[in-house]
Amino acid sequence: MTWHNSVPTGLKPFASGSRCAVIKFIFDLDGTVTSQETLPLIAEFFGVQEEIKELTKATIAGNVPFIESFIRRVHILGKLPVDKVADLLGTVSLYSKVVDFIHAHEDDCIIATGNLDCWVARLAERVSSRFYCSSGLLEDGRVAKLTSILKKEKVVAYYKNMGATTVFIGDGNNDIEAMRLADISIATGLTHWPAPGVLSIADYLVFSEDALCRQLNQLLSVARA
Amino acid sequence: MQTAQSIIISCAGIGSRLGLGTTKALLEIEGRSLIAWQLELFKDVEDVRVVIGYQANDVVKEVLKYRSDVIFVYNHNYFDTKTGASFYLGSQHANERVMEYDGDLLVHPDDIRLCLEAESEYVAYSDKMSDDAVFVTVNEQGDVLGFSRREGDYEWTGPACIDREKVRYTSGNVYNQLEKFLPMPGIKIRACDIDTFEDYERAIQFVRGWRP
Repeated sequence: MTWHNSVPTGLKPFASGSRCAVIKFIFDLDGTVTSQETLPLIAEFFGVQEEIKELTKATIAGNVPFIESFIRRVHILGKLPVDKVADLLGTVSLYSKVVDFIHAHEDDCIIATGNLDCWVARLAERVSSRFYCSSGLLEDGRVAKLTSILKKEKVVAYYKNMGATTVFIGDGNNDIEAMRLADISIATGLTHWPAPGVLSIADYLVFSEDALCRQLNQLLSVARA
Repeated sequence: MQTAQSIIISCAGIGSRLGLGTTKALLEIEGRSLIAWQLELFKDVEDVRVVIGYQANDVVKEVLKYRSDVIFVYNHNYFDTKTGASFYLGSQHANERVMEYDGDLLVHPDDIRLCLEAESEYVAYSDKMSDDAVFVTVNEQGDVLGFSRREGDYEWTGPACIDREKVRYTSGNVYNQLEKFLPMPGIKIRACDIDTFEDYERAIQFVRGWRP
């Protein structure tokens, strides 16, 4: 597993015009690779769901900007012991066919999640991919403050600048800019109906693992033809 | 062995000529939506792609009642484009062979089977049913030689099947894309496309004719 809290800036992109047949699949994590949304899961497990329920609902509806919502949710959930949160997320259920695809094409699959590195550490070991996430400062085994919030579009821009064809797969409001920037975007409705903003810019929309994996394999096959 | 094929059902349009204020995929015919009839025709095909635009969410929800493994393809520019653009978008990352199937088309199940079993590329056509149509001229073997707005031997209804790599972007119609590859093998089918309210009534009779 390769771990990134920020998008690398020191690497030199390929010269312009040198686009090659490299294709990079960049996955949202929650609800796309995991079959449960992780922040509500944490809240429920530790009995603080009432505190973030309305916030989560308003965020999914697009009424609270994702970054504001994330900061507020981390403020609530950050008081919980990090190691126990990581253990909990280490057991979250995954979409097995999607994970199989990621394992089979490990060099070309990337996870981009707004979630905190310390929370998804165990989960990342299972997915075994390159992870880009947000990060926090820990004190006494708890999140004292957020130090970076991942903007997924920066991950897309990074791989595009390296000359890759980028495919972004996601379902939420915080995926919209990344999907807009990606060469190809796939909206997923595996866990919940995708955010309306996602549907307004997506190239493809799928509701099953079979359809998603078929499309991913087709993209690979066409890129290599 | 047959080349792996994808079915591209183009359902992005507004259906303005029909005058019912709904996209054609959602039209009810004998108790089922038009898209439901079409999905039934292709129930044994793995890769079915439905191109959506106008009333996209409604079409998606209707399709999901019947199968969840469809790949939906967006034609966000549906207002300014025609079926050729939807076919291109649907074909881009599909299997090597792509079948174009208009969202306003009903084909007799026995005839769609012939199309699905065809080894080569083809253009399907039916007996003339309307005056406001695109016609095809064919030779003695039934190969399609040309399309015309004015005259021809049969009516162009689709479907058509060609290699994916031949499909190029056009804001026009599918038959404009096919013209450059003529002559192509033809398949005569029993079909009914729904452009007007009269066509809609004809489609209901057409379905009654084959329903068990």
